[in-house]
Amino acid sequence: MTALLALVLAPLFSGSVKWLKARLTHRQGLSPLMEYRNLFKLWRKVWIAPHPTTPLFLLGPILALLGTLGALALLPILPGPTFKGDFLLALYLLGLGRFVQMLAALDAGSSFGAQGSYREGVVTVLAEPGTLMALAGAVLLGEGFSLSGLPELGVENSLVLLLALASLALGLLAEGARMPVDDPTTHLELTMIHEAQILDHSGPLLALYELAGSLKMLFYAGLMALLLPGFKPLVFLGVGAAWVLALAYLETYGVKLRYLRLPDFLSYNTLFGVLALLGAIWRF
Amino acid sequence: MSPLWTFLPLVLALLSVGTPWRFRGLSLFLGMAGLAWGVLGGMGWASGLGAPYLYLLLLGALTLGLAPYLPAYLAHHPREAHLYGFLLPLFLASMAGVALASPGLGFLFLWEGMALLGYFLIALEGPNALAGARAFFLASRLSGAGLYLAFLGHGHVGADWVWAGLLLGFGVKAALFPFHAWLPQAHPVAISPVSALLSGAMTKLGLLGLYQSQYWFGPPPPWVGWVLLLLGLLGAVYALVRGLGEEDLKGALAYSSVENLGLMLAALGAYFLKPMPLLLGAFFLHQVAHALFKGLLFLGAGALEERRISHLGGLFRKAPGLGALALWGMGVGAGLPPGPVFLAEWQLYQGFLQGPFLMPLAAGALALVGALALYFYVRLYGLAFLGLPRGEVALHWTQGMRLSLGVLAGLLLLLALVPGLVLDPLGVPTYPNWLLLILLGVLAGVFYRGLLRMPMRAYGTWDCGFQPLTPRMQPNGLGFAEPALRLFPFLRLQVGEHPRLEEPLAEVYPGVGRIYARLAAWVQTLQSGSLHLYLLLQLLTLVVVLGVVLL
Repeated sequence: MTALLALVLAPLFSGSVKWLKARLTHRQGLSPLMEYRNLFKLWRKVWIAPHPTTPLFLLGPILALLGTLGALALLPILPGPTFKGDFLLALYLLGLGRFVQMLAALDAGSSFGAQGSYREGVVTVLAEPGTLMALAGAVLLGEGFSLSGLPELGVENSLVLLLALASLALGLLAEGARMPVDDPTTHLELTMIHEAQILDHSGPLLALYELAGSLKMLFYAGLMALLLPGFKPLVFLGVGAAWVLALAYLETYGVKLRYLRLPDFLSYNTLFGVLALLGAIWRF
Repeated sequence: MSPLWTFLPLVLALLSVGTPWRFRGLSLFLGMAGLAWGVLGGMGWASGLGAPYLYLLLLGALTLGLAPYLPAYLAHHPREAHLYGFLLPLFLASMAGVALASPGLGFLFLWEGMALLGYFLIALEGPNALAGARAFFLASRLSGAGLYLAFLGHGHVGADWVWAGLLLGFGVKAALFPFHAWLPQAHPVAISPVSALLSGAMTKLGLLGLYQSQYWFGPPPPWVGWVLLLLGLLGAVYALVRGLGEEDLKGALAYSSVENLGLMLAALGAYFLKPMPLLLGAFFLHQVAHALFKGLLFLGAGALEERRISHLGGLFRKAPGLGALALWGMGVGAGLPPGPVFLAEWQLYQGFLQGPFLMPLAAGALALVGALALYFYVRLYGLAFLGLPRGEVALHWTQGMRLSLGVLAGLLLLLALVPGLVLDPLGVPTYPNWLLLILLGVLAGVFYRGLLRMPMRAYGTWDCGFQPLTPRMQPNGLGFAEPALRLFPFLRLQVGEHPRLEEPLAEVYPGVGRIYARLAAWVQTLQSGSLHLYLLLQLLTLVVVLGVVLL
């Protein structure tokens, strides 16, 4: 259910970010709804199979989308499956998508694809442990060891949950390949992380990747919504809107970090994760 | 328990040696023995007879997968084939014997026999394998020393000493950090079926021994649990980082074995600290899954003539069957859902998070291991099987090998669909993994078919419009790993003409060897060859024995 909601909202989300970025730089901007038509157009186009490719070239975008949708389906924003330890499965389903995406990038035999692939691997190594620890800290404070029992931000758990929210925000920037980590609008292959991996995917394959990219950000937004008080679907919309604003401003006024500086930036994620987990153990 | 029937394959092998159909006969016998072990072990485990039966199940499954592989593979080693055909069943029987033996001198005898057979099996490969075989031998000596301390000292020295001996004795076999260095030296140099058995089955005996020791020698003191937990996780991270710089495909797989064993040791350590069925589920499920996928990958690596990663590439197009099977094995190895290794890690996370004191922080280390494993297996699979070929590679990919890898992959799939086979006797629930597997499979299949039907055009890879791409523009093994190695500067990367990653712990076993040789030389002074000295020794012995008896 949550996955379907996110699937409907995802193009609107990325379309709105693009529209607001255009407005902030005093351009007219395409309508936020343009993204739906763009995906539809891509879906009908001829796709190109580079010569050295194997079935993994196709499996990359397919499993990237399915893994992200599977992770979203486990978020109890709308009723859905829930069980003990579902947050671990959700994070690892994203990992499944990343695994095939990194392999598909290597498949075309391009040096850019390989570059994107190992850079994505480095970002994962840097970002994953912190996000997982922060989420685990929040889950430990809740009931049932599951996403459906996550606590809501209040006075007594504010420290742990604020740390978890900060860590999830950094996770969104890292995994969603957004500004301080990666520049989604760059045209220079040498600076790309996410885009370098999908250079050789075109037409419907590109559509699947674009959809998966926006859905991944909505997954993190959904996790943040679960930690905030209120009626969940509305909070989810609110968090999504807040991220549209945040991303547009960040990418208009901010700059991309030098790739070698990423460890400095993402080590905050690990720090937040460790502190959140310690806070959950010692209940401060 | 007098497991006489475990020696059945020995008898069968003796019969089969010298017959003209020895290879096919050997594989038939091994297949039958594997099936029998698997069924007996499965029944024993299901009826709650204990961990040795799960080990028997694991060994049986691996033997069953190995059986069809041997004839085609040994045909390439015509001179040593006899010896392999003779030693392999013995080695299998000794492992089954160790698993079922009760603690005592019989156990030590089988344990040492197994180590000796393993040494012969590695050393048979040729002069290149001698250094690795030597490391294996020295590790067995170290392991034996620990076990003698524990088994003979039990009842005479305190529990701390007994458990220190057990940690050394069984820990060395299970590649406990920092004694793991023998494994990446010894396993890659052996022939692939032997590597599969060593990594898949023999190392698990160390884990089984540690687990059984709590019943044999009483519950461990708390420090044992913390040591296992910390060293296990440290070893897992270290092995993955070092393995990222490994050029040899089988060497990298051996480092991955160290990583997986580290996680299992950590699970056992956490279980010693807080006995939760979840941790036990992770411990046992991971063992079976690791035996199967590592067997699959080692046997798959045996089909390649060239094992240096920087000389491979594009293997998927050359052998799609091998590529698909290896993808399944490596995906499982990377700990991704819906594979059984993920199920084990999923339980391990939950166990860690509910653990005492600071144990929840171990979940962070586990997440780091997960992310590194992802990187590690993308590198192995992507560079070897995808992209443009970096050179001509000869393949020996025969019908029997296909069957063998297919059996192991099928068993792995069965484990993913029905993890209850391992977990039910422990009473550990899981989420419906079979549903996830089927859903993902069906949906991915539908999308795949649909995309193939859409209009498509074959074209070149994007090359910026300049010169066409060449295979050498793809990163090589170390080039792909370098950005991650930069994050872990405790290992120095030597760049230049022959770039390589150092392994500081490789010096552990040559050092042990020097101490061992010095001790041996010291003992040798007694064996001077002088008759007078021997007579004097006899007299002294007589006096001492008389003294002990009379006084």
